[in-house]
Amino acid sequence: MSDTIDEKIKNYRTAPFDARFPNTNQTRNCYQNYLDFHRCNKALSAKDQDTAPCDWYQRVYMSLCPVSWVTKWDDQLEAGSFAGKI
Amino acid sequence: MLGVIAKQLKSHPALIPLFIFIGGGATMSIMYLSRLALRNPDVSWDRKNNPEPWNNMKPNQQYKLFAVNMDYSKLKKEGPDF
Repeated sequence: MSDTIDEKIKNYRTAPFDARFPNTNQTRNCYQNYLDFHRCNKALSAKDQDTAPCDWYQRVYMSLCPVSWVTKWDDQLEAGSFAGKI
Repeated sequence: MLGVIAKQLKSHPALIPLFIFIGGGATMSIMYLSRLALRNPDVSWDRKNNPEPWNNMKPNQQYKLFAVNMDYSKLKKEGPDF
């Protein structure tokens, strides 16, 4: 009994508990979801599938990350100087 | 070296609990440090073959030693696969 990803995105309230990051420091959680969002977009558009499910990761990182980080990483992505592996 | 210590312990047997407690404390520290070094999912020894070891965990796998108020058996993976 697992909701489809569309229902999960529609009923989204906040980022759920992630067992990979159980401690108070959620920095890596934020960064990982940011990376996952862009990797998901890249993988699904390479396979010519709809990238709507990737919005889950976007919702999560928008909940977790400071806005200044998000804008900084977006600018770096546009400039091509983003350090993460996408 | 051990012979010297054994001789001293025989003449001052009250020192034995000291060795026990200091040895126990040192063992516990070393065990915790090696658990952190080898099992902690934030630590990556092999950047080429295992670059993000925290992604190898299952969604309901518990790393913490004591988890209060957290039922790990009910968790499942959120987020879509790609």
